[in-house]
Amino acid sequence: MIQVRRLLSGTILALLLLPIVSHADTLADVLSRGILRCGITENSPGFSTINAIGEREGFIIDQCKTISAALFGRISVEYVGLTPQTAFVSLQAGRIDVFAAGATWTFRRDVAMGLNFTGVSYYAGQGFLVRKSAHVKRVADLDGATICVTQGSTNEQNLADYFVAHGLKFTPVTFADMEQALEAYEMGRCDAVTNERISLAGRRRSLRSPDEHLVLSESISKEPVGAAVRHGDDRWRDIVAWSFNVRLAAEELGVNQANVDEMRAGSKNAEVRRLLGVTGGFGKDLGLSDDWAYNIIKLVGNYADVWERNFTPMGVDRGLNNLWSNGGLLSALPFR
Amino acid sequence: MKRDHFPDYRTLLYQAILLVLAGGLAFAIFHTTQTNLERLGVHSGFDFLWLRAGFEIGQSLISYGPDSPIIAALWVAFLNTLLLALVSICLSTILGFAIGISRLSGNWLLSQAAKAYVEIFRNIPVLLQIFFWYFIVLRALPGTQNSYRFFEAIFLSNRGLFLPSPVLKEGFWFALALVVMVFVACTVLHRWMKQRRVGNNGHVWRNYARIGLMTIVLMFFIWFAGSFVSWEIPRLGRFSYQGGMVLTPEFVALAFGLAIYNASYIAEIVRSAFQSIPRGVVEAAESLGLRKTAILRLVTLPLALRVIMPPLTTVYLNIFKSTSLAAAIAYPDVMSVFVGTVNNLIGQPLEIMTVTLLSYAFVAFAISLLMHLYSNKQALKSGEK
Repeated sequence: MIQVRRLLSGTILALLLLPIVSHADTLADVLSRGILRCGITENSPGFSTINAIGEREGFIIDQCKTISAALFGRISVEYVGLTPQTAFVSLQAGRIDVFAAGATWTFRRDVAMGLNFTGVSYYAGQGFLVRKSAHVKRVADLDGATICVTQGSTNEQNLADYFVAHGLKFTPVTFADMEQALEAYEMGRCDAVTNERISLAGRRRSLRSPDEHLVLSESISKEPVGAAVRHGDDRWRDIVAWSFNVRLAAEELGVNQANVDEMRAGSKNAEVRRLLGVTGGFGKDLGLSDDWAYNIIKLVGNYADVWERNFTPMGVDRGLNNLWSNGGLLSALPFR
Repeated sequence: MKRDHFPDYRTLLYQAILLVLAGGLAFAIFHTTQTNLERLGVHSGFDFLWLRAGFEIGQSLISYGPDSPIIAALWVAFLNTLLLALVSICLSTILGFAIGISRLSGNWLLSQAAKAYVEIFRNIPVLLQIFFWYFIVLRALPGTQNSYRFFEAIFLSNRGLFLPSPVLKEGFWFALALVVMVFVACTVLHRWMKQRRVGNNGHVWRNYARIGLMTIVLMFFIWFAGSFVSWEIPRLGRFSYQGGMVLTPEFVALAFGLAIYNASYIAEIVRSAFQSIPRGVVEAAESLGLRKTAILRLVTLPLALRVIMPPLTTVYLNIFKSTSLAAAIAYPDVMSVFVGTVNNLIGQPLEIMTVTLLSYAFVAFAISLLMHLYSNKQALKSGEK
C-alpha cells in the first residue's frame, strides 16, 4: 500500500517537473535525433507544394533543406504542416525546431511571443487580386469594396490600418483557408482577395480563367519575412541565421550550385575560401563540420538558384528581393 | 435516524483530502504554466482585451471599427453567435416538429417523404451540408449588377439580402412606451372582461368583436409609433449596396444548414415522443367524448412534451455549439474572430481559449437551465411533481 502510494506521488511529481526541464540545447537534440523537425505551411504555389511524383518542393521546403544540409550534410527533414494559428504554439512547445515557413518580423512576435527571428528571408508585401473588368488600378479604387481576407499573419490588421489611414471603406469576408477565399472570390462574393503578393501571383495561375484577373502592383505593407526559432538558444539561432546568410553571400561572391566544386578547389578569393571551409574553421565555431556552407550550396544552391527554381516559373521577378547591387534590399553579412 | 443525515467523520475526512489534492493539482498546473511562460519570454495575462483591435469584422449588430478594443470584438462575435444560434434553433424546431408529425401522418406519401428527409439529412456531416448550402446560395444568386429588386428597396444578390434599416427619430422611445402601455392595458382589460364574463353566455361573436376592437386600437398605436421611424434604403455604390441592413449568404447558409440538419434529429425525437404515449390513454380520452383537437391539446401534447424536453435540450445545445463551424465559411462568430483572428494577432492561446470556453459554457448552461425551468413548469401544470 505504501509502495503504491510512493510510486503514484513520484510519478505525479515527475510529470509535473518534466516541463521545467530546459530545452536550451536544440542543436544537441537535433543532432542526436538525426532529423530536423521543420514547421511549414502547405498548399501555397511557389512556397510549398507537392509535385506530380509526390515530393515536396517550394521556397519554404528549400529553407528546411538549407538548415538540414548545414547540420547533416544531407537532406534529413521531418516536415510538420502547420497553420498560422498553430505555428507559434508548436514552436514554443518544442514540437518543431524551426518555423521555416516564416512570419513577418514584428515587434510583438520578437518580444512578447518568445520567438527569435533569423534574419530576413524575403521581403513580402500585402497585395490584392482583382478582376480586370472592375477597372481597379490602385488600392484607392477599392473604396467600398468587399474584400476576401484569410486569417493569419498580419493580413487583417494591415488591411484595416491602410484603409482607415487613407479614409477608405471596405467590408471584409474572413476565411480561415485560402482555397475557400479564392472559391468565394471566383463566384463573385467579393471584389478582391488580399494576401501576400507573391503567393497571390501563384494562386492567380490556378484560377479558372487567369487572364481575367490581375495582381495590383501596389502593396500596402512592408513585410520582412524570416524564419523563427525559440527564445533562449543562442547557438541554434546563430546556426539557422548564418545558414540563410550563406546563400546570399554565395550569390554575392558568384558561387552557385553549378560551380561550387570548382570554386572550392580553385578560388583565390579569401572570403570564398572561408565560406566554403577551405580556411577559417567557421563550421567548428558553430558546432558543425567545416563543410556546412559547401553542403548548403551543393544541395540547395545560392539565393538566386532557390528563387529561380521556385518563383521564376510563376513569373514573379525578384523586385525588392534582389541584391543591393541590383537595386534590391538584400545584402549578405560578411564571412569574416 | 441520525445516520441518515450526518455522514460519519471518516467520509468527511476522505472528501477533505480529495479536495486538497484536487486544489493542489490545479495550483501546480497553474504554477508550472506560469513558470514556463515566463521562462520562454511569452507575455501572459488578460490585459490584451483592452488593446486596440486593429481589424474589421464583416458583420456586427453593434457599431464596431478597427479602433475599438478587442473586448468589443469579442462582444460582436458573441452577439453574432447568439443570433445565429437563436435563428437556427427557431427554424429547426419548426421544421423538426413538422417533419416529426408528418412521419406519423396517415398519408403514405407524406410519411415516406418525412422518412426520406430524416435519413438523408441525419447521415451527412453537418459541415458538408453547410458548405453545400453556401456554395449553392452563392452560385444561384445573381451578381450585384443583376440583383433581384423588390419595391426598389429590397435587393437580393450573391452579396446578400439588402434591407432598409430603421433610423430612429426623436420621440421613438416615448411612442414605443405608449404602445407597450396600451398593449398591457388591452391584455388586462381582456382578462377582466373574461373574469366577469362580460358578453359571454354563449354569444361567441361578442368575443370576436372584443378581440377585433382591441386589435384595431393596438394597430393604431403601432402605426403612430411607426411614424417616428424613417428608413434608410440601400443605394448602389461602385461595388455593392451601401447603407441599410444586410443578411449575408454566410449567415443564410449556416442558418439553413444547421436548421435542416438538426431538424432531422428533432423529427425523430418528436416521433418517438408521440409513439411513446400508450394507446390506452388516448382511448380513455376518446371514451370521455373529447374531440380530436381537445385530446391533442389536453392529453397527448403534455405527455409528449415531457418526453421531448431532455433530448430537445441536447439538440439545442448541439446547435449552439455547432455555430463554431461558422469559421469555415467566413461568418464572424466567436471561434472565427477570437480563436482565429485575435489569437493570430496576440499569440496567447491559453488566455484566449479560456475566454472562449467560458463564453460557450456560460451560454450552454443558460440554455439548459431555461429548458429545465420550462419543463418543470410543464410538470407542475399537469399536477405532477
